[in-house]
Amino acid sequence: MILIGELSLWVALLMAAWSTTVSFAGGATRRADLADSGVRGLYATFAMILLASIGLWTALLTKDFSLEYVAGHISSTMPSVYIFTAFWSGQAGSMLFWALILSMYGTIAIATSRRGNEELIPWATGTISAVLMFFIATTCFKANPFTRLDFIPLDGRGMNPQLQNPGMAIHPPNLYLGYVATAIPFAFAIAALFTRRLDAQWLSIVRRWTLLSWFFLTIGIVLGMWWAYVELGWGGYWAWDPVENSSFLPWLTNTAFLHSIMIQEKRGMLRKWNVVLVVMSFLLAIFGTTLTRSGVIESVHSFAQSPVGPWFLTFFAVATGVTIYLVATRLRDLEAKAELESMVSREAAFLYNNLLLIGIAFAIFWGTVFPVLSEWATQNKITVGPPFFNAVNVPLGLLLLALTGIGPLIAWRKASLSNLKRQFATPASVGIITGALLFALGMRAPYVLVAYALCGFVMGTIVQEFYKGMRARQTIHGESVITAFRHLVGRNRRRYGGYIVHAGIVMLFAAFAGMAFKLENDVTLKTGEAFETSDPYGHKWRFVSQGISTSEPRDAQVVGVGLEAFRDGKRVGIIRSEKRTYKDSQNNQLFQPITEVGIRTTAALDTYVVLAGFRDSETAELRISFNPLVVWVWAGGFVMMIGGLIVMWPQAERRRAQAGYVAVMRPAAAGGEPVGA
Amino acid sequence: MSDEQAKVLSRRGFLAGAGAGIGSMVVAVRAVSQQPNPRARMTHDSSLVRDTSNLFAMDQGAARPVRLPPKANAVKQLTNTQRDALEHQLHCQCGCTLDVFTCRTTDFSCQVSPAMHRDVMALVDGGYGAQEIIDAFVSTYGERVLMAPPRSGFNILAWVSPGIAVLVAAAFILAFLRRSQSSRTAPLGPAAKGVDATDDELARLEAAIRRDGE
Repeated sequence: MILIGELSLWVALLMAAWSTTVSFAGGATRRADLADSGVRGLYATFAMILLASIGLWTALLTKDFSLEYVAGHISSTMPSVYIFTAFWSGQAGSMLFWALILSMYGTIAIATSRRGNEELIPWATGTISAVLMFFIATTCFKANPFTRLDFIPLDGRGMNPQLQNPGMAIHPPNLYLGYVATAIPFAFAIAALFTRRLDAQWLSIVRRWTLLSWFFLTIGIVLGMWWAYVELGWGGYWAWDPVENSSFLPWLTNTAFLHSIMIQEKRGMLRKWNVVLVVMSFLLAIFGTTLTRSGVIESVHSFAQSPVGPWFLTFFAVATGVTIYLVATRLRDLEAKAELESMVSREAAFLYNNLLLIGIAFAIFWGTVFPVLSEWATQNKITVGPPFFNAVNVPLGLLLLALTGIGPLIAWRKASLSNLKRQFATPASVGIITGALLFALGMRAPYVLVAYALCGFVMGTIVQEFYKGMRARQTIHGESVITAFRHLVGRNRRRYGGYIVHAGIVMLFAAFAGMAFKLENDVTLKTGEAFETSDPYGHKWRFVSQGISTSEPRDAQVVGVGLEAFRDGKRVGIIRSEKRTYKDSQNNQLFQPITEVGIRTTAALDTYVVLAGFRDSETAELRISFNPLVVWVWAGGFVMMIGGLIVMWPQAERRRAQAGYVAVMRPAAAGGEPVGA
Repeated sequence: MSDEQAKVLSRRGFLAGAGAGIGSMVVAVRAVSQQPNPRARMTHDSSLVRDTSNLFAMDQGAARPVRLPPKANAVKQLTNTQRDALEHQLHCQCGCTLDVFTCRTTDFSCQVSPAMHRDVMALVDGGYGAQEIIDAFVSTYGERVLMAPPRSGFNILAWVSPGIAVLVAAAFILAFLRRSQSSRTAPLGPAAKGVDATDDELARLEAAIRRDGE
């Protein structure tokens, strides 16, 4: 099976090359037979990549240490779930994984959209296959997971224990699923540029796949934050690391697209801009990968550096060049159909939303590449870290949060003063009351106050929208509260799913703002000694060291310290942090010792204990932090995921024809406000 | 040649090409797999512990002494909290992306951040203020020891560019909106294209919008 997998990889390369060539030829000569052959070539590529992947999984699960990849990424003492996930934990495997997802996506996208898109399909297939060919070629020539060692080691090196975490098992595949999904809208955008055709069906395909990409990126990013928080032990969940940034960039452009696409759907405007956004998302996804793989920029993910860097750089340059050429020469053919009427309208709000999202994306991109630029210009090495990103992005982020509340309240085309007054009264009051209340309670930090006031405002908007919609249904159809809610969301999934995503965003912002009150204590404790301090809410805490203990499970040596914690004199339990040193079956040490953080979570506060080191066998050095509201980051992420699922649910597309935006045309129908939809 | 023939020929060509490809690949892969791979040299004892707990290639020798003679009649100017805040502004040089405080209180194996911490403490004990300590670190390590670039010289570009970019784009959008407004005569027709509504319904909507606007 392993040999079959290895051979399939090479066959896949041929298939992708074939598919690329004949698809483009079919598109250019308008020959349906060539186009068909190209599509079949893509399907065959998928089949071959699938075989290759099964081959690699077989090698991993049978622990065939004669393969360099297997010996380098697993050991015989590892739990099998991580042996399975080792497929994508290394360079070569993740390249193959990328090809697997892309070929699968490509097959699904082309198979489901062939009818009615005969003109676009060959170009889209050719583009997907060309991207695929690049990934397979890189896998074959530069990072082949089937490379054999010239000896067979007794045991493998194992996986870095910090990657052996449930979050890490699913975070990378989600990010890959998100990254790779940008390739499909990109392929259709390229097809639109080649054929100068861009209609409603194009829109629906591109939107669907962008939504999918957005959805997986959201999950991937939030899981990555969770992993960093519980596993790396530095006490936060977002460090503005270059690779974190590069996963965030396509998320931002995807989000911008999912908003501006509504203007195109409703008003036929911004067609060019939407094509540019789609293209940007893909190029940023490739940029992110180039960044991780090239080692140009130092990052927490530098473990993934390898010789594929130059390949990616070349691919990125070529893809950018071709796209810029196409956009420059053909974009003017995609003219707008209507024009904006007012600066105070839903359309204009979406434009401002795009401005801020892309502004944030630019700021992050700029901060990420600036060290390289600065070193090139001044020969001076600098660091662009969290203080920069926070200073630049916090104001932009707050403006964006404000727009999240404003957008849904403004009518399409042109909002009147009375419309504005009626819509804004309640949410604005909620926001002002929230801010005033917190000020009265003694909160003084201006950014944080503004953030919470805006959170109140946006939540006010969301609740008002649901309330109005449900009231309308109750009045018109005489439905109960629950039925009205179910029908309201079910019959207009895009709109109300979107609001649920907004609610998740509010939770995230509230949690981010809470971190401004984080408190950290650097503590040295002997067995039996106590440390007393206050948390950000003013509660008194007392931590008593229970002493240092050691244990030796099968695959590690563990040294830990337990702290008995008391809050306002009441015992809340023991918080334990450990250092683990992993070893293989031959008792050889694998990797440096790693930290297991002790976390006690409540809705208001995380108590976060990190064992930083030992003075002697009795004395532990610890960092005890109070991180307010962290759990709301995970809750917000979860809510966003639910909202995303509601928006994506396939029925939404079909039902829209009856209930969705048509509600706008029939004021009496479901969906609340006649014009404010 | 009919379409059908063309299809058959291309499929045959495709299969022949694929067959030849598979054959040559089998030969090539066999040949390659028989040769020892020069890249794949992994001995079991060496460099196993090279990977660090922070997933970095760590440079344990990166710390440089930052020492200044204590001031005459030195009095501590910084509390421990202020010192920790200061360490949050200094970038650990071990190769991680963390600041000195966070790295030294997180990473068991890093020897660089504790060394930098000792230098900070010695300078605090020597009566130096926050800015003086930062300057001393910059003169030893260069600007990369700061967590964010200084707002001067070439680096000012880092700070102002995002703001300028957003303002320019905002100006562009406003200009676009102005232009749209001045040239607008757009009837509802094209906007509503593709929407499932009769002309009568569209007219009623237009009227509703007017009413709403009043």
